[in-house]
Amino acid sequence: MTTSVEEETTTTDPVPELPTKPRPSRFAIVGTVGAIVLTVLTARNVGLSANELWSNLGRKNSVIEGLFNPDFGQLWSERTLSAFIETLQLAVLGTITGSIAALPLALWSTTFGNPHTLLRGVVRTFNSIIRAIPDLLWALLFVSAVGIGALSGLLALFFFSLAVTTKLTSDTLDGIDMGPVEAANSSGASLTKMLRTAVVPQILPAYSSFVLYNFELNLRASAVLGLVGAGGIGARIEFFRNRGEWEQLWGLVIMFFLVVFVVERISITLRRRLI
Amino acid sequence: MTGDWKVMKPAPDLPAKPVDRFKWGFTATVVVLGVWSARGLDIKWSRLLEAPGDMWTLCRLMFSQMDWSEFPELAAAMWESISIAWIGTLIAAVCAIPMSFLAAENLVGRPVAWIMRQIFNLLRAIPEVILALAFIPLLGLTPMAGVMAIGVGSIGTLGKLFYEILEGVRPGPVEAADSVGATSLQRLRWGVLPQVTPELASFVLYRFEVNIRASAVMGLVGAGGIGADLAQALRFKEYGTAGLGLIIVVVSTIAVDFVSGTVRRRIVAGRPVILDDARAGEVVVR
Repeated sequence: MTTSVEEETTTTDPVPELPTKPRPSRFAIVGTVGAIVLTVLTARNVGLSANELWSNLGRKNSVIEGLFNPDFGQLWSERTLSAFIETLQLAVLGTITGSIAALPLALWSTTFGNPHTLLRGVVRTFNSIIRAIPDLLWALLFVSAVGIGALSGLLALFFFSLAVTTKLTSDTLDGIDMGPVEAANSSGASLTKMLRTAVVPQILPAYSSFVLYNFELNLRASAVLGLVGAGGIGARIEFFRNRGEWEQLWGLVIMFFLVVFVVERISITLRRRLI
Repeated sequence: MTGDWKVMKPAPDLPAKPVDRFKWGFTATVVVLGVWSARGLDIKWSRLLEAPGDMWTLCRLMFSQMDWSEFPELAAAMWESISIAWIGTLIAAVCAIPMSFLAAENLVGRPVAWIMRQIFNLLRAIPEVILALAFIPLLGLTPMAGVMAIGVGSIGTLGKLFYEILEGVRPGPVEAADSVGATSLQRLRWGVLPQVTPELASFVLYRFEVNIRASAVMGLVGAGGIGADLAQALRFKEYGTAGLGLIIVVVSTIAVDFVSGTVRRRIVAGRPVILDDARAGEVVVR
């Protein structure tokens, strides 16, 4: 009797083995290897070297010194002030015109807004092409075509805003409730009426929020347009850079980004309210 | 029977539409700002009518006689742009991950999180090209100046997106780690990191797509990549080269977007995702 009890206690089941860890998926392996290979190749291509980087960044230099002694005095000069205002105006007008044009473009890229397959393809291709061209490249192209000045900057921001807002809006359009669309269609609404009553009200809050977001992007972009001659404070930044006046440059940059910062806070508050 | 028709009540009036003050205020502000800008800008508006014609001329010049002998050089320059974007994004991610832990209110105290967030906001506000202007005197007219500009510039956005993800972690695994006596580092490693890795990886890729666009223009100020070739070609009126360069930029960017987008969707399959920074903070990651 006693021996059997003893036997029972000693032969209790061992802790069940942990389930074996699943092997990493093929996707994970290919992805990791791909990322490592890409990193090695690109690091070589740009000449990445931690040592060199460290010694270069640690060296005493006028750029960083200027950052810590910014000069705000020249901000009140006529030239800087008018460039400052021009930058704001470019951002405002670029956002408004670009966003207005973005709404039809986004609607035409959807199946319910554009029943014509070929035309839809054309619109979608156009959308992805304009999205692939960065802000400064637009500016460069327009300066080359139209000439130096604020008009080139405005056209550049128009296309940049068009691309961003169209993309964000069409993503939202993909997820709308199709019920109202069907209801409008079944009551015989024309395409325009259907879009106006069944689609636009659904996306309007998100769309307004994207317009505001786009304005934030445009403010930042409009600061650099002037580097290629398309108006705004970029020209002043370039001027100070060429003369090596880093104190003035940083003063201007810091001031501008304080403005951007404030505008961004307001915009974010409004966006919260909209959604 | 017919009398019943007459006593039927007329349809009640629709309730009056409430006046949405916010909406009207918003619209009015936009209109006022728009008029102010249109009047203030130093633009001859008649020139606007000529702009499409000018643009058409430029397109014809660029695309009618493309200079294919420049292809190897331009492709190499685009590859340099892609390299700048990738390494820059990685540097930003490496810096942003630890920084974002310090900005998540559920992991550190409020004051620390607030300070960290303001740093992110500041970095987010500065365009990469401006940062490149600052790095060029330090690193020379090299791709590394572009890399550092993109690296520093992306810390802000990545950090902001990261801490929003971190604040959305499910508390279960963290509590489980606590209950078996995990140190704070172990808690992060086993309770937090496994939950957030897919989203983090997906954002890094998303940022890479954004940075391709930034690195394509880095060359305009001399910080490496295809931008220098484009600017030079347009300046010296070598339109054939500029056209080919433009096509290379567009095709490569779309290709990178496609590959990166596919991988991103695969990584976060079945999870709610914040698609981009325009909507960050609106979608709670569960």
